[in-house]
Amino acid sequence: MDLNSAFPLVALTQSEVLNLLPLFTISFGALFSLLAGTNKTKGRGYAFIMAFSFIVLAVIQGGYLIFSSDITLLGGTLTFSPFTKTLNLMIMFFALIGVVLTYGQDLKEGLLSEIYALILFATAGMILMVSTTHLLFMFIALEIMSLAVYVMVAMRRNSQFSAEAGLKYFILGGVASALFLYGTSLVFGALGSFELSNLELALRSTSQPSFIFFVGLGLILVAMLFKVGAFPFHGWLPDVYQGAATNVTAFMGAAVKFTAFIALAKIAQNLIFIETVPNLKWFQVFIWLSAAASMIYGNFVAISQNEIKRMLSFSTIAHTGYLLLGLYAMNQSEESGQSLVLYLFFYALSNLGAFAIISLFEEKNQKDLHIEQIAGLGMKHPVLGTLFTIFLLSMAGIPLTSGFIGKYGLFSSAVSAGEIPLVIIAVLTSVVSVYYYLRVIVYLFMKEGTEDTAIYQKLTGASVAAFLSAAATLHFGLFPKTIIHFIKMIAK
Amino acid sequence: METTSCLLTWIIFSPLLFALLAFFTPSAFEGKLRTLTLVQTLVGAVLATVLYFNFDGNQAGPQMAHLVAWLPEWGINYLVSIDGISLPLIMLTAFVSPVAILGTWPAAGVELKKEKFFVIMLMFLQTGMYGTFLASDIFLFYFFWEVVLIPMFFLIGVWGGKERIYATVKFFLYTMVGSLLMLVAIFYMLKVSAETAGVANGSFYNLQSLHFAFDGSSFQTVLSSPQTWLFLAFALAFVIKVPMVPFHTWLPDAHVQAPTVGSVFLAAVLLKLGTYGLMRIAIPFFPEAAFYFREFFILMGVIGIIYGAFCALGQSDLKKLVAYSSVSHMGYIMVGLFAFQKIAFAGSLYQMINHGISAGGLFLIVGFLYERLHTRNLNEFGGLAKIVPVMAIAFMIMTLSSVALPGSNGFVGEFPILLGAFQVNPFYVLFAGTGVILGAVYALKAYQLVMLGPQTRSDLDHLHDLNAKEIIAMIILTIFVFGIGFFPKTFFGKSDVTLDQYSNSIINKVGPHGP
Repeated sequence: MDLNSAFPLVALTQSEVLNLLPLFTISFGALFSLLAGTNKTKGRGYAFIMAFSFIVLAVIQGGYLIFSSDITLLGGTLTFSPFTKTLNLMIMFFALIGVVLTYGQDLKEGLLSEIYALILFATAGMILMVSTTHLLFMFIALEIMSLAVYVMVAMRRNSQFSAEAGLKYFILGGVASALFLYGTSLVFGALGSFELSNLELALRSTSQPSFIFFVGLGLILVAMLFKVGAFPFHGWLPDVYQGAATNVTAFMGAAVKFTAFIALAKIAQNLIFIETVPNLKWFQVFIWLSAAASMIYGNFVAISQNEIKRMLSFSTIAHTGYLLLGLYAMNQSEESGQSLVLYLFFYALSNLGAFAIISLFEEKNQKDLHIEQIAGLGMKHPVLGTLFTIFLLSMAGIPLTSGFIGKYGLFSSAVSAGEIPLVIIAVLTSVVSVYYYLRVIVYLFMKEGTEDTAIYQKLTGASVAAFLSAAATLHFGLFPKTIIHFIKMIAK
Repeated sequence: METTSCLLTWIIFSPLLFALLAFFTPSAFEGKLRTLTLVQTLVGAVLATVLYFNFDGNQAGPQMAHLVAWLPEWGINYLVSIDGISLPLIMLTAFVSPVAILGTWPAAGVELKKEKFFVIMLMFLQTGMYGTFLASDIFLFYFFWEVVLIPMFFLIGVWGGKERIYATVKFFLYTMVGSLLMLVAIFYMLKVSAETAGVANGSFYNLQSLHFAFDGSSFQTVLSSPQTWLFLAFALAFVIKVPMVPFHTWLPDAHVQAPTVGSVFLAAVLLKLGTYGLMRIAIPFFPEAAFYFREFFILMGVIGIIYGAFCALGQSDLKKLVAYSSVSHMGYIMVGLFAFQKIAFAGSLYQMINHGISAGGLFLIVGFLYERLHTRNLNEFGGLAKIVPVMAIAFMIMTLSSVALPGSNGFVGEFPILLGAFQVNPFYVLFAGTGVILGAVYALKAYQLVMLGPQTRSDLDHLHDLNAKEIIAMIILTIFVFGIGFFPKTFFGKSDVTLDQYSNSIINKVGPHGP
């Protein structure tokens, strides 16, 4: 869409204001939280209260507004439809858990009070990223999100690992952003638009787009695969997950991954899965290979990890592989898109919960929890042990948990799309994953504790976050009807 | 098929209700948790008895269905029902559970670690087992099938022997490999169901009516038929659970490491999940493919019978001996199922029940001995019959049941299987029959080494005979051993019509090139 027609900006109509309300709330919440955090003694508490109340408000607004009429802003650049509003609501929900999770953890790890504002800034970026279909706008949203997250990763000021992680993530992420921007410019040069729907129309009208389009698309794809942490662009992921404070890791694993994947899915659907352009087949093959390699690499490397966060970060790579399988299946069937969203949502929930539990047992500035350190914890703290088990079983895709429903939906829609070989790779590698998830459960419940065993840190926020996530994990695992019905309805 | 009754749902979820109760039991009453478990299993037995008397034996199809929409978008519903094939297995589960609890009652003063967690897992396990036998929806079946793994994983891993972690992880992973491939097959079936009828429907009755292409004209065409791969995916999941040689290696480890009550449930009920799956899904849904591969499965069954028997013969660990005898006895069921004969199908179902009773009983005896003497080594017993005569009698009854003496329940199962298999190929029966003889050899050898002969130990003064609870447990089993042995019709009569129709429909389906 030609942006010129959108300027000068006209006053927003009432329904436009309404639909933007959650975004406004979050942005103002971030500012108020920054201000509240300036108090010398109680800054963290005030900042938390501000961030928490505004995000709760935003979630309520978002939930209330889902079925209000669709609006498009800036000449189609931003679209608020029930579908994007639901995705936004999910992101705000992750941010809510993220904020709760940070409470208590901030004091323990010496995180500054600004962390709450940063979470909200990142959330605002995510909402924009999910709602836009404009490549340049997507880049800006990506940067809003990423810059906040870079700072969050590096925020454990007394930890060298945190500094290393922050720097690594910043430099590599910067390169990825640059690739994205450069790719966008090349695509614009080739097809004359930034708007995904226009690009799709242009592609469908020519079967032979110019060479620079493919170069540009390749760069965009690489940047997005970097952001979601797919093989072979996963190198940053374990170090960053390990170095960041655990609450930040939880937020990244849930919300950042969710957002980046939605953006990747949009790009893939509009630019890659176009059957009229034969050369795009190579990009599809690349996604196929990346999916298979992520599953195999992530799962097999996770086996040999003895540190829990590092193990979970490799398992994240494997989950990216499953998600790419769903993405690849979107080529054939619409339903895969819905399964993808479901899987992302369920995975994010168990991810948040698992990291919340880890943060309950980590000492200040500890880089990671060694598996020997959790020996016997399940028997000592039966409730937390059970919660951790629920999250691990959910990630392993065992029934009773939402992870199973997610996996079932994702794989079954992939089978319907005819991607049986990739599904077989996925199920066989997920047997491997069962092994390392079980290993943690074995240490929790079946080994005797030693003097190295981690000590329970009283953190209200993390406990509440773990309970919330566990309740959601079990609820959606046993009664998935409502959410599946809902996703199906809004996807229309 | 109409929705009339919630009885089945009560059977499935009553253990879970008790588990909730156990969870909220204050720690002051923790000593009473076993009693609570016993009450729970007795409630299960009562419900099962009510079910038995309400079951209409003249009706072949599923009865007492209970349908709740669960995930209609994906063609998945909570649908449970019962027919003549699941009825005996439900009864088995319902009666083995109290027996297992009674037979493994901890001696006074012995405090088991984490008693609450233990009984919750036992109840959870029962819900899983009932659910798997009663599920009539493929998704629900898979759901319960997997759920069973979780409590068993903890039962072996937390309360097991020295090598418990190795054993339990092996058990879990073995089952997972098979069941995940089964999951892919389920996806494919639901996809075909959706393409045929417009909407997916995972109920067994719907899936059974689908036909998956199978062309048995040459090996090439067999390999390119979808039915072949569906059958193999399901069969792999089930034969791992049975276990069929060569997928049996998890079983001796799991059995030996499991606590006695875990072994009893594992042998008596969990192994039957595999053969039940074959009987319920793999064979009737994919009859042509199953028929095409029948020789292979019979052969594996026969190898299992003989191999298991020889392994049992070579064991000096009594529990391992019983575990390998399970491999051997489950081999008969494989032979019976893949003989594709009316009488053999019936024999396989009977054998499932009978093996449940005899192996459960034998594991209880092993548990009694281990609890008293803290050893399972056959060479460290000897001459116990004089000191513990009641236990000796109980052991003898279970041994005779295990070796299929006429008049005991074992005979009722094995004889029809061999009879049916004889009509297919007498050669197999020749070898399978050897297994019966070997079975007698190792079982009697074990009995002799434990109960007869000179006493080898000097510390037998404190050895006490079975207590009241243990005697009740063994009496219940004994009633079943001889009851089924002498009056099989009374116990299995209600399954006749179902079995008749079941085998007719399968034999008709493979008819053109069938027997």
